[in-house]
Amino acid sequence: MARELVTGNHAAGNALALAGEANRNARGCCAGAYPITPQTEIIEYLRAFEFSKGSVIAVESEHSAMGVCIGASLAGGRSFTASSSNGLAYMVENVYAAGYYRLPIVMIAVNRTLGPPWNIWVDQGDSLMLRDAPWLQFYCDSHQDLVDTILLSFRVAEDPRVMLPALVAMDGFVTSHTQMVVNLPEQEKVDAFLPKCNVPHRLRHDHPTTVGGLTWPRETEHHRIEIQQAMDRVPEVLTEAIAEFQEVFGRKPAGTLVAEQTEDADTVIVACNTMARTLKNVIAERRAKGERIGMIRAKMFRPFPRSDFAAAIGSAKRVGVLDRNHSPGSGGIFWQEIATTLRGRSDVLLQDYLVGLGGGDVTPTVINEIIDDLVKRKESSEPVWKEVAA
Amino acid sequence: MGGEAMIEITICGRGGQGGVTLAKLIATTYFLRGKYVQAFGVYAAERSGAPLQAFVRVDDDEITNHNQVREPDHIVVLDRTLIVPGIASAMKTNGWVIINSPDPPESHQEHFAGMRVATVDATSIAVKSGLGTRAVPIVNTTMSGAIAKVFDLPIDDLLAGMEHLQFGGANATSAREAFDSVQTATLSGKVEHIERVPTNGEVPGLLDPDLGGMPKIRTGSWATRKPERQRLTPPCNHGCPAGNDVRGFVEAVGKEDYDQALGILLETSPLPGICGRVCPAPCMDACNRSEYDESVNIREIERYAADHGTLPTPTAPWREENVAVIGSGPAGLSASYHLAKLGYHVNLFEGEKELGGVLRTGIPEYRLPRDVLGREISFILQHGVKAHSGCFLSRGDLLALTHKYAAVFAATGLRDSRTINLGGGDSKSVFQGIDFLDRVRISGVRLDGKSVIVIGGGNTAIDAARSALRVGAHHVEIVYRRTLDQMPAIREEIKEAIDEGIKIHELVSPIRLDDNGARPTLICQRMKLGEEDESGRPRPIADTSEDAQFNMGCDCVILALGQTQDVSILPEGSEISDGQALLGLSGAPLFAGGDFATNEGTVTAAIGSGRKAALHIHRTLSGEDLFPQPSEPVAAPDKITMHIFSHEDRRDGGMIDAHDRRRSFTEVRVGYRDNPAEHPAVDEAQRCFSCGVCNSCDRCLEYCPEGVLLRDADGYSFDYGYCKGCGVCATECPRGVIFMSQL
Repeated sequence: MARELVTGNHAAGNALALAGEANRNARGCCAGAYPITPQTEIIEYLRAFEFSKGSVIAVESEHSAMGVCIGASLAGGRSFTASSSNGLAYMVENVYAAGYYRLPIVMIAVNRTLGPPWNIWVDQGDSLMLRDAPWLQFYCDSHQDLVDTILLSFRVAEDPRVMLPALVAMDGFVTSHTQMVVNLPEQEKVDAFLPKCNVPHRLRHDHPTTVGGLTWPRETEHHRIEIQQAMDRVPEVLTEAIAEFQEVFGRKPAGTLVAEQTEDADTVIVACNTMARTLKNVIAERRAKGERIGMIRAKMFRPFPRSDFAAAIGSAKRVGVLDRNHSPGSGGIFWQEIATTLRGRSDVLLQDYLVGLGGGDVTPTVINEIIDDLVKRKESSEPVWKEVAA
Repeated sequence: MGGEAMIEITICGRGGQGGVTLAKLIATTYFLRGKYVQAFGVYAAERSGAPLQAFVRVDDDEITNHNQVREPDHIVVLDRTLIVPGIASAMKTNGWVIINSPDPPESHQEHFAGMRVATVDATSIAVKSGLGTRAVPIVNTTMSGAIAKVFDLPIDDLLAGMEHLQFGGANATSAREAFDSVQTATLSGKVEHIERVPTNGEVPGLLDPDLGGMPKIRTGSWATRKPERQRLTPPCNHGCPAGNDVRGFVEAVGKEDYDQALGILLETSPLPGICGRVCPAPCMDACNRSEYDESVNIREIERYAADHGTLPTPTAPWREENVAVIGSGPAGLSASYHLAKLGYHVNLFEGEKELGGVLRTGIPEYRLPRDVLGREISFILQHGVKAHSGCFLSRGDLLALTHKYAAVFAATGLRDSRTINLGGGDSKSVFQGIDFLDRVRISGVRLDGKSVIVIGGGNTAIDAARSALRVGAHHVEIVYRRTLDQMPAIREEIKEAIDEGIKIHELVSPIRLDDNGARPTLICQRMKLGEEDESGRPRPIADTSEDAQFNMGCDCVILALGQTQDVSILPEGSEISDGQALLGLSGAPLFAGGDFATNEGTVTAAIGSGRKAALHIHRTLSGEDLFPQPSEPVAAPDKITMHIFSHEDRRDGGMIDAHDRRRSFTEVRVGYRDNPAEHPAVDEAQRCFSCGVCNSCDRCLEYCPEGVLLRDADGYSFDYGYCKGCGVCATECPRGVIFMSQL
């Protein structure tokens, strides 16, 4: 593997291109591409890449970018794209269509705050806007996690037991524009890891059909149930994929979540993406001082791994959630999901903290202040806004 | 650094200096030495020149910290102007402050007492090597040399990093020069910790009307250009012989302010209703819009303004001086009006029974209705002008006037018609065009059933031909020795004549009239085009081929070959100087103008000439110079960003159908007709580009990425403290008002 110093966007573009190229002996690959800050470098990378069999089509909008992906995937090709923020919002209709068509498209979401007012910095509100779409969702904390997760996503999304699209998220700028050292895999290994893409319901000349026509309520219900069942099979498929990944690449990527020092913890903090890396440093410092504290890095958001969270939280008495997103009128979205996980657990104090919204720099100091608040609590409250200095 | 703690570097620079690339270069150099590294910038809405920070982390282990660097080990300053009190306060002990500065480290004592400081004149080195410009030097690679030296990095390691990033040539030599020339020192004194005041102030709410737009960024001294405003002369104004502010009145019509439009016209011309009908409109030939689709229909807009605006209350004379004006054509009327407005008592002498001169005698009623003429003359007279009609003056009378009046202006127009000898002496079948028009007007001459040939190509020829139709002629033809497109007559008039059934024979010259038979015959010669003559047009020469002569039967011939001045009224030996003043007289100053002096042949030129005479007379009598100041350069088509405008066809005014009008003296053109859904005059006026004159369109303000344009009484001003000189406003100004100047 090549050890390289690249940006997160470069790493993501590279992984997408490797995956696309890996299908060159099957039906090739095709992507619809439209740029938006901070995702633009991914589009530039893909447009500059010379695929043996496939193409990246520059279109006039995100909506059309996903339209191209739907068409390409319905034709049986491996398909992928990337977007951010309001671009993702503009894409939404076709994002849902891609999922309900059961097309194994992989999309990178470079997390950026939804405007207006305009803001280009990180906030998970854009990809979490798609939480009710029939898509898998993964959140990455580092360049390496990003590369590995993109490759895993193709594998899981295209698995006949799943056959659903997958979204892979990273932090805008903090990951996308930061140069970090990363191992970029060779094409042969990616070829070995990713089987040929086979979309079973792809359109064929020899068997003309149409897709997406009218269905009655009974059929629709049935299709929804099928999607839920496909979602339910994801953890098992993911586990298998990770095992094979390790065999091919000699490295074990994270699964649904990463629990750190939770076994004997009274207090557990949940976070995702780079905020979880900062959190890990804070936890290590507090552990060193004798605190019984652990953390969970949330990685897979859809399907939401409730049982894995329940197991990781274990007998902890306090759970704090750091949400870099905001569902107006409710609170943090990860917090809502964990609340459903902890239903019936009246012994656990669950507290939400809304922090780093709009790209604020969440420093160890900020996280320590949050933990200090949590450990002093006798009872939970409505989500707490933890404002971060500019 | 083997086994040492992580090092963190903060780079302070400005957008465009390459700070983020420098971070990447430092990181790459350490990466190639086997370290874990991290490099990133703090991104904002990208602004060239805006202060920005970039960071580097280097460690032996994987770097898990993704926060901005708060307490750097070292600080790199790419631009000295970014040094503020406390810039290095959070720096760890024993770090380096590496500054792009031509001065030695000690000169930075004020901000870095007790610290280790390195300086290098990276700007000079970079500029010398062609990396950027002195205004915007790209100093990143040069600074990397100084950094390598200070960090004890072998220069070859740095050059390897550069090669990895494909930097070579000037970048490498500059880095090497900086490596060799960086000066270091530990400054005396103690490190002073200055608490930097947090900038988190009150945040205005989303519903706060003062939330405003983008946060402004002070550009201080680093902008290299600044936008400025100018006013150029619109080509229409430049092209108007009467001196009208054409753009101004068109803009007023576009805003549906017809009173203002008429007021602007009356500043320079008392005859807008007439010009709006009969002017050849050189303004329209000059209009920049003709480079894009079609010129703005300025003549129709002027007519609309004159017919729909309210005339202002006339002023009365307030000065003591009396001025005589001879001739009530457009020049005399214009001079009378402007003199009266300047306060003079004006006595206007006219040889004919009614005022108007050529406006009345030379322009047929179907082009210029008498009520319009009457209305405008009456407005002029309301300024206290005393008219004396039927008062034909001789040379002696003129001399007498110079002793009675403070000044005299003569504008008697053209009275001698040019003629050609068609043989056979004075034939009863031959008329002079101007006489014919006069007879049509006064005596109601009829040509019922007759065949008429008109000779000539000017407006009089067209007027005579069309008038002949209207007094009953059965058949009217025009012969002209040059080509149709060389006819000096107004284009539209030629087209209207053809539409009315008048046949025009181009490249035909009459030789003689055979008036001896039962019916006159005009013997004609076909012509062809030869070399250019003194007028720049190809000279018509006789076609020598066999059948090049032919006969045209007719009942009468009208000659319309132009007119010349009759200067018999002028004192012998007098000389027209400067187009106006007459020399060699003993009495009051005498001025001449209009066609009489200039023979320019248009109403608009005569109006301009009359106004100039009035200003001359005023200057002579009062010493006050009211002549327009030398104007700004003309807004050429390349100053106009035409693609910003959508293509739109010109709107023409209405016209009576050719069949209905050819026997009638009712006005042919009816102008713009409003209806509840359409105001064609307003729509047409809005096609105006407003070349070279700000019309507060707001485009500059809307496009300014920094929000530093402010509306003020003059249109807009620039907040230079926050302007970065990007030039977007100048690029976006559709009319050439904003330009960029170097600072």
